[in-house]
Amino acid sequence: MGGSKAAIATSGGVDSTTCAVLAHKALGGRLICFFMDTGFMREGEVEEVSEMLRSLGLPLRVLYVRDRFIEALRGKRDAEEKRITFRETFYRVLSEEAKKEMCDVLIQGTIAPDWIETSGGIKTQHNVLEQLGLNTVDRYGFRLLEPLLELYKDQVREVARYLGVRLEASERQPFPGPGLMVRCIGEVREEKLKVLRAATSVVERALGGLRPPPNQYFAAVVEDERSAASHEAERAVREVLPGGRVQYFNCRATGVKGDNRAYGKIAVVSGGKAGTEDLFRLPERIIHEDGEVVRAVYELGGEGSGMGGGSTNRYAVLVRAVETRDFMTAKPYNVPMELLERLCRDLLEIKGVSSVCYDITSKPPATVEYE
Amino acid sequence: MQIPVVFLGGQYNHLIVRALKELGVESWMIRPNVKLEDLQVDGLVMGGGPHSVNDGLERFGNLPQIIERGWFPMLGICLSHQLLGFLLGGRVVKGRKPEYGRTIIRVIEADEIFQGVGSEFVAWASHNDEVKQDGGRFRVLARSDYCDVEALRHESKQIYGVQFHVEVAETPKGKEILKNFVKMCR
Repeated sequence: MGGSKAAIATSGGVDSTTCAVLAHKALGGRLICFFMDTGFMREGEVEEVSEMLRSLGLPLRVLYVRDRFIEALRGKRDAEEKRITFRETFYRVLSEEAKKEMCDVLIQGTIAPDWIETSGGIKTQHNVLEQLGLNTVDRYGFRLLEPLLELYKDQVREVARYLGVRLEASERQPFPGPGLMVRCIGEVREEKLKVLRAATSVVERALGGLRPPPNQYFAAVVEDERSAASHEAERAVREVLPGGRVQYFNCRATGVKGDNRAYGKIAVVSGGKAGTEDLFRLPERIIHEDGEVVRAVYELGGEGSGMGGGSTNRYAVLVRAVETRDFMTAKPYNVPMELLERLCRDLLEIKGVSSVCYDITSKPPATVEYE
Repeated sequence: MQIPVVFLGGQYNHLIVRALKELGVESWMIRPNVKLEDLQVDGLVMGGGPHSVNDGLERFGNLPQIIERGWFPMLGICLSHQLLGFLLGGRVVKGRKPEYGRTIIRVIEADEIFQGVGSEFVAWASHNDEVKQDGGRFRVLARSDYCDVEALRHESKQIYGVQFHVEVAETPKGKEILKNFVKMCR
């Protein structure tokens, strides 16, 4: 690195925190850590993460830049357009701050799945630049250093434990760089984000106690507007789930099929009666009848079909919990039905929530996150 | 022991390198335009990727010559399995019921590559195309409910193809299969 001064972008997640601790050991006073409040953090997270990073002895500056993100994203619905907008805003802010601090190197905790998914065209992770051929010196005025590029999440956790990083960081469940933005399916609006933030707290509290814990568990939110599915899809559902039915949300979500990006429909299955293992067979059956579907969720409860007007409650909360080693493939976590039913009742208490669904899709064909 | 992995742009290519390293093998990614004479290796694994062999072979670089003339054991996964099926005279077609995620592999011909994994096991697959034998110069070693050729072997050489992914955590017997392949490379 020579005599340069370096900045590191940290989110409080295990990748960037481990990377920051490593960089701090190597560079000492020549390092500054930035933590950005993008407006897409969870309840209380900005304070908790700032406190945690300071407790590790890292020289921290928190950047309060919510308005810039909300402003840049206004009116954007397409998942990739949102992600690229997030990336551009993120690095514009970092570029300005790095200049002020006279840093000409940016260190970041990019790991293998980030560049594999981005250069494979599955989804644009915000922290992948050089692998897409973007010249960071020309664009933002800094060189990049990415020491964790070859590692997967489980390997980073090993490094974190070795370095003695606090448990709350080394074992923290993953949280995407663009945060709640990618769980606010479609357009981001203040009211929708508020519902999502409340639902996130409820879901994390309810599922955090499962043993063994799911490797990732969270809520997503989407307008509860639906369309009819094909007769073939209906029939395929009833073969597995007698008395069940299927509709589609009027939105699109990200998936991965045969190493290609898929951006397609979310099927909502409701009614019938079946064990969760049977439910997990549904996505494949539906996709065999309709290749545009990328994931399926099972409706746990709500006000009804969502097709009628007049109600002020208009959001569906999607609950996702997965089991995975490295996040390149994942299976839905088999959450006990009684727990899901209790969770559903709690989520329906949130103002604005009209239905609650449980995601039953593996990766592939879905990804872990929705966008 | 050196077994590089040919990178074809697939999501799990890098996981193959990781899996081989965990087996104590020296492994790294190489591009398909590598020359056969530069491959001083004990074996070769070829990864998956987003394209179709029916769209032309340009993206596969020198792999057709390497597969024809290479003297070391080879294992093709997913797209590379389809490339093997295609080059050995079979057909590659769009799957009518594509597999994305969990599937059950049924072994129909015993072979050292499947030693110790049983006749039926859970695996994960992710593919739009699939191989049909149609007179190809290979033996079909395994199938699933939705795919007729889940594994193939060259009629005389130690060249194997698997449609499913041995390198992902959700294929519990995958490591064993990879270990069997590594044994052949000694």
